[in-house]
Amino acid sequence: MKSKRIRFFQIGILILNMITVIGISAFTCYTTELICSRYDAREFLSGVSAIPWSPWRKLYICVILLLLLCVGFALRETVFKANMKMITFCLVAELFVAVLIVYQLNFNYNGILIMVFSGMLMYVKDRKAQMTLMALSIACFLLADYSLISVKWNLYSIESYMRYYDSATQQTLLSIYNVLISLNMAVFVMYCVDFIVTQRGRIDEVNALYEELEKVNEQIQEYAVMSEKMAETRERNRLAREIHDTLGHTLTGIAAGIDACIATVDVAPETTKKQLELISNVTRDGIKEIRRSVSELRPDALDRFSLDYAIAKMVADMNAVSGTKVYFNCQVKNLKFDEDEENAIYRVIQEGITNSIRHGKAEKIWITMNREDSDILLQIKDNGIGSKEIKTGFGTKHMKERIGMLGGTVTFDGSNGFTVNARIPIRWGENYD
Amino acid sequence: MKKRKWITMAAAVLVLAAAAAGMIKMKSQKEITLEFGMFTGSNWDVASANCFVIMDKAIEAFEESHPGVKIHYDSGILKEDYSEWCARKLLKGELPDVFMVMDTDFNQYCALGALKNLDDVIAADKEFDESKYFTTALNIGKNDGCQYALPYEVVPTLLFVNKSLLAAEGIEMPKQDWTWNDMYEICRQVTRDTDGDGWIDQFGTYNYGWLNVVHTSGASLFDDDFSRVNFASEEVYSSLRFVRKMYELNHGQKVTQEDYNNGKVAFMPLTFAEYRTYKTYPYKIKKYTGFQWDCTTFPAGSRGANTSEVDALLIGVSAWTEHEQLAWEFLKQLTYEQEMQMDIFRYSQGVSVLKDVTMSEEAAAAIQEDMDEGEQVIDSGLLCTVIEEGTIAPHFQQYDQVINLADNEISKMLEEEKNIDSTIKIFQRSINSYLKQ
Repeated sequence: MKSKRIRFFQIGILILNMITVIGISAFTCYTTELICSRYDAREFLSGVSAIPWSPWRKLYICVILLLLLCVGFALRETVFKANMKMITFCLVAELFVAVLIVYQLNFNYNGILIMVFSGMLMYVKDRKAQMTLMALSIACFLLADYSLISVKWNLYSIESYMRYYDSATQQTLLSIYNVLISLNMAVFVMYCVDFIVTQRGRIDEVNALYEELEKVNEQIQEYAVMSEKMAETRERNRLAREIHDTLGHTLTGIAAGIDACIATVDVAPETTKKQLELISNVTRDGIKEIRRSVSELRPDALDRFSLDYAIAKMVADMNAVSGTKVYFNCQVKNLKFDEDEENAIYRVIQEGITNSIRHGKAEKIWITMNREDSDILLQIKDNGIGSKEIKTGFGTKHMKERIGMLGGTVTFDGSNGFTVNARIPIRWGENYD
Repeated sequence: MKKRKWITMAAAVLVLAAAAAGMIKMKSQKEITLEFGMFTGSNWDVASANCFVIMDKAIEAFEESHPGVKIHYDSGILKEDYSEWCARKLLKGELPDVFMVMDTDFNQYCALGALKNLDDVIAADKEFDESKYFTTALNIGKNDGCQYALPYEVVPTLLFVNKSLLAAEGIEMPKQDWTWNDMYEICRQVTRDTDGDGWIDQFGTYNYGWLNVVHTSGASLFDDDFSRVNFASEEVYSSLRFVRKMYELNHGQKVTQEDYNNGKVAFMPLTFAEYRTYKTYPYKIKKYTGFQWDCTTFPAGSRGANTSEVDALLIGVSAWTEHEQLAWEFLKQLTYEQEMQMDIFRYSQGVSVLKDVTMSEEAAAAIQEDMDEGEQVIDSGLLCTVIEEGTIAPHFQQYDQVINLADNEISKMLEEEKNIDSTIKIFQRSINSYLKQ
């Protein structure tokens, strides 16, 4: 996830900050010793408005604090790579340490704050929060400025120590100091730009994929329309064939039989009677044939099997082909409803199982069906990862539509695994035969 | 991968432990040592043989009442090196817990935050009664209305009068509320040629400078924050007119210490410390024999009072002391303890900062010890009045330079008979631009 470049930037910022912080405190120590060895202390004091208490102690404390920052960085990078809680703790602790360092240096250097903020930026996913954090870090950087704070509080300035040297040395020291500060700022800006560019790239990638998906979707829709038309034609042909084969055949037989009857009705009524009986049988057979062919027009499993058998088969198939265990428990006797109701129930279960496996990564799925008054209560529950907020994807939307058409309701709960609860009103007693 | 994790973990724990150990080591010290910063010799530029006696006594008493506490001081730092020594200690962060503060450093140390603001400790200490100190002395240790140091020893400036000379001229001793005119009148009478050789050999004043006069004029020479001088005021002009009048009495003749020693001068200002040193210095010839003398206050100008400069040696507590309470107790031991303050009369040259001690008979007896028999004692009532009414010299680093520059300018003005107003205005402008730098 983390690119090599970003890690390089972070280590760069860390090293730069360590050099600056130790540089500033060590310079203060060295200058203090120099002043004291030259017996210039009194004169030096008359030129400053504040001094740090014990420069050596400050150096010592700064080194310890920097070590703590390094420990925090190392822990985040190696031990707690995925532990968001510990990372947050580390970051907060680092911010605290950075503030201490800035305080120790009397606000002569505040780039260390930016370093911590750049570390935080890494872990914040939300774009809005990222922007807030960037703004916050810049605000902190500006507010924790020496020239701003020294107006109100008496702070020692590193420049007053530089002024102790002759003007040529002063120039050199001041430029080193400024270069270090600017360098830190420059690296931070580079880091931010890199961060934004990387993100921009990711967004472009997603957009391109989305476009492709859209195209494929359109194609699929075209195919669907086409195949529908083809199916229609095929069905018509079949119907024609059926009608021709059964109805035509029977009617032809009947017509021929009746013609024979007309011829024989006056001569041999007895024979005609037998003939009519024959015609009657043929007609009944024809009706049977028609029934058969009509029933053949119903779809897949449902027209061949009952609903519970169909569901049981789906469950068995799912158990056989995937690693997920599906349990089906049905408390309703005689699962025989109207076609659209059966279809809806079947499809909802199918969709539920698919969602649990695909999105929830569930290992177990429990499906229960109960009857309450005239409603069927259908529950599909899994032990998957669930989902904090339920996004309206294709799956849930379709379920809602399907059940909505029957006047039922469906609810989703993603807090403990994922649960689908559907209530479907059934038109009992209007059974189709 | 796992191994690396463990190594990082172990390193992290190690660093944290080392940091904690370092902190603990810094904190734990078995015996408390309180650092005390002092210089050798007297603050009043007079010779002093007993500077360690008082301190060693005080330290002994303190260590006895506070078991487990040791007081340590570096001996042998001369007064002229002390300011630099302190500055070095301050820069390195090794400022002693309790230390003597030079008056020139006082304001600067307050500004740098090196001195502890004592207001809170004073408020918390129920036994401590500020009113026991001379108010003037206490004010010397104040900055911006806060008490940053306590006075240890004060030295007032007194005007010494040659009583024999005045008596010979038939002049009465001046009263304590006398004025410039009274003084001019006396000086006019005594300034004359006594042996008829054509040279003036009897004078009114010696060493009575313009600053002594300005102190009694009601003028304030500096702004509140000492960023500007304020010489161009009617008070200063009238002071300088008086100085010129006095100067003209001598007709350009210089008065010397020799003249005073020979009893030929009526008035001479002297600090209390100088007085005591002159009188007790064992291998110095007794200077004041041959005439009777007395001391009094300085004459007042029309808008001023009979005031003179009061100086004090301050002792403060470092703002970074780790033993705040002990430092405060030791500071009290030095400045608030009656017995300790009595030692100032016994071994030092100043005056105790405590009113009770200064007014006590024991103090009077200590001062009397220095006197020749039959001589008049400096009366402790007068001492108290002079201290309480005294003015404080401002404590800022350029003060001495400004006063030296003004000295030069004024003596030039007197010698070359320049106009007072214009001289002072030009001087003020140049000094202010100097202070601005």
